[in-house]
Amino acid sequence: MAGDADEQEAQDGGQNKLVDEEQRKESRLTLEQWLNKSMRIKMTDGRTLVGVFLCTDCDCNIIMGSCEEYLKPPDCLPKEDPRILGLAMIPGKHVISIEIDETASQEEGNVGQLVQQY
Amino acid sequence: MLNACCGLNVKKEKFSIMSVDNDSESQDCPKFKWVDITKDFFAASSQLQLGELLHDTSFGLFEAMSAIEMMDPKMDAGMLCNQIKRKVLTLEQCVEEGSVKVSGLDYQELIGIMDATLACMVTWIEGHSLAQTVFTNLYLHNPYIIEDRCLKAFCIIMLKTVDHIRERVNRAGTVEEEDFQPMSYGFKMAGDVTVTRALGMVKEVEEELGKLSKNTRSKPGEERSESQELQHQLVTALHVRLRFYKLFYSMLQSFAKEKCEGLSTAQKQLTQIVELIPLMKSSVPLGIQEGSSAASKNDYPTIMGFEPLINQRLLPPTFPRYTIIKPRLDSLDYIGVLVQTLQGVTTVPELASLHNTLEAFMDFSKSSPCVLSRSLLQLMLLPPNRRVFGQQSVVDALKDTVRAFIAPPALSPKSSLYNSSVAKEYVDALMSRAARPLCTMFQVTGHNRARQRDKWAHVLEDLSNLQEEADKVDAFLHSMLVKTERNRNHLACFGTWVLYHTLNAMINYTLSGFELELYAIFEYQYVYWYLYELLYAWLVSTLHRADSFLLEAENAPDMTQKGRSSKKKKKKRTRTLTRELTIAQAYQQMFGGYYKAVVAFQLCGKLKEPKFRFDNEEVRYSHRFAPFAAVLTPPFVQYAQYKETSDLNRYEPVPTSQEMFGSACKCFCQAKELLDSVSPQSEEIQTMIKIAKTNFVVMKLVVGGHKGDSKDPPDFDFSQHKVLPVIKLV
Repeated sequence: MAGDADEQEAQDGGQNKLVDEEQRKESRLTLEQWLNKSMRIKMTDGRTLVGVFLCTDCDCNIIMGSCEEYLKPPDCLPKEDPRILGLAMIPGKHVISIEIDETASQEEGNVGQLVQQY
Repeated sequence: MLNACCGLNVKKEKFSIMSVDNDSESQDCPKFKWVDITKDFFAASSQLQLGELLHDTSFGLFEAMSAIEMMDPKMDAGMLCNQIKRKVLTLEQCVEEGSVKVSGLDYQELIGIMDATLACMVTWIEGHSLAQTVFTNLYLHNPYIIEDRCLKAFCIIMLKTVDHIRERVNRAGTVEEEDFQPMSYGFKMAGDVTVTRALGMVKEVEEELGKLSKNTRSKPGEERSESQELQHQLVTALHVRLRFYKLFYSMLQSFAKEKCEGLSTAQKQLTQIVELIPLMKSSVPLGIQEGSSAASKNDYPTIMGFEPLINQRLLPPTFPRYTIIKPRLDSLDYIGVLVQTLQGVTTVPELASLHNTLEAFMDFSKSSPCVLSRSLLQLMLLPPNRRVFGQQSVVDALKDTVRAFIAPPALSPKSSLYNSSVAKEYVDALMSRAARPLCTMFQVTGHNRARQRDKWAHVLEDLSNLQEEADKVDAFLHSMLVKTERNRNHLACFGTWVLYHTLNAMINYTLSGFELELYAIFEYQYVYWYLYELLYAWLVSTLHRADSFLLEAENAPDMTQKGRSSKKKKKKRTRTLTRELTIAQAYQQMFGGYYKAVVAFQLCGKLKEPKFRFDNEEVRYSHRFAPFAAVLTPPFVQYAQYKETSDLNRYEPVPTSQEMFGSACKCFCQAKELLDSVSPQSEEIQTMIKIAKTNFVVMKLVVGGHKGDSKDPPDFDFSQHKVLPVIKLV
């Protein structure tokens, strides 16, 4: 009896796992498409960081490269000079909002143009 | 990358929130289209497994480790900046607001500002960043808007001084990041004001104050109010300060003169500065002092014109380094020591021979002098014209040095080799090869004590190569020499000289381990053994060899004046290495004493080797002497060889601990006698005598059974000498 129940559970678990696996794959793909793109993060203390998205984990800790720190909200005027931080890790619990830069994908059609430019 | 882009097109429609910043587009140079992905990102990342990282192939855990952590108080400098409630204002804003005066400052304020700035400068020289020290003084950000002539002149000369120090230290290149921070953060250092103009500005104000100081002096029979007296003191204090800054800057300029020709001027200026320092110290309380409001780690109360947080944004993204500004009195003490050290530096060029100079450099380094004096000494030896003390070319100086050390026939005018162009070519080539390692040795002494150890190990490779070269030159010169002067010898002549330096470098390397407290007591046995049986034994024989060369050279017949050489006159030897030799022998005996004492302590069970897991004496031994493997002469003693030669079972009968203590006692006694015969006696030699004497007595006591029943290990007390301990029985 006990063995049967175990088997049943194992089967359910197996199905769940399969679904989980699918979901995971998808979310990994979602995250991967953002890799190496410009990212803007607002932190709990009001600072804004702009950098290149490099790495993340399950707690939403984010590592950004070539990171710049702005003290004031980004739309504030006059524009302030950022402080260069370089490689920075932002703990997930301090992340308020995440934005990604879409200029690159918009100009996708103009890749040829871009190549010429460089 | 392409993959990611394609994926994006599909996903785009899915975004629930899409906020495109259109207004920022209009004025921002790099145009961004920010799209909020907060929810999606959180949802997606939460799907990752614990410990799973999502990253590109080019980004690994190693890179991840070097990221700074935001919102971590230890790493995030910007976070601290946010914690401060107070508003941080620039100089211009302060002036507008009226909290900082640019004109009409009273004497107390000027004195306070000057002393606080000096304290900042000293803190900077000690290794803190300019942004957190000198440039917390707002006035220095823009001295041109200052209307007060005295303050303006001071600010400009301060900037010039800082800039000059920075340039000197950078040029000497013997500092590490832990010693000094050369970053200038793009501050303007009054580069458009010439040296003469800057000095002239100070002089003008100084003269005015001098007159005023004379006029306010109390005249005989004059009844003076307290305020008059105070006024006089203030004027005088300010006058003294301006004189000091003027002299300090001109003194640095004198040191920087080509060919060391400014040294005598520098000496005079230094003596003048020495007189000013006590006057400045006594008048420190006259300046305005900071209030006593609460100080946090990076914010502290200041006087007018100072803002500790003004440059917070300029700090590197590494973890913030808290800067505690040295108290004003302490910083004047610091300058006092600096000036004394510099006075010592000015006498170094009088030492003539390079060996004496190297010795002086080493002694200089022993007192751990500050970066500025270290750099000035280094720059003095080889100024931009690359001549020793600006006078002699390095090759010529080396020739003189070798001649004084070992008198090679090829360098002695009496020998036939002296006029041979072929021999000269060989010697010149060798000497120019030698220039680099020898100059490196001087440079090594300019680094801080902890860094020197590695540098000594490094120079060994160069010296080993030079040694090979020198041996070849010797062999060639010998074959030339025997053709004309049958009974003279040139073998191992330059070679011996190089060996002398190799051995010294090895000894310095080994001894630095004591000073840096690297060796554990159970390691002493092989360290002392290596010093006693190998390094100093070789050094003594090397010096003997050089000394006999010197003797031979003096007695050699003069080949250039054949007729008169028959006249034999017994004159006193002019050049000997007796002093070096005696000191080397004394060191050898000292280390012999320590070695035997350690062995004896082990025999009687007072010193036990701890039994650590995975501990291996051979590994430790090979690690300690690893750099010596690169040297051919003296050959590296392998561990097995050390074990074999140091094995007491070789002796018949096997010595007891008492006998070993007895011979340690003899060694210390001999060391003492040798040192007693050295003249002149330096302070260090006197200390050594004292240590040898104490150890001698201690050994005698152990032989007599003192504390024989105690199993406690003896104490090695390095408080008197950094390398030679006093043994204490416990």
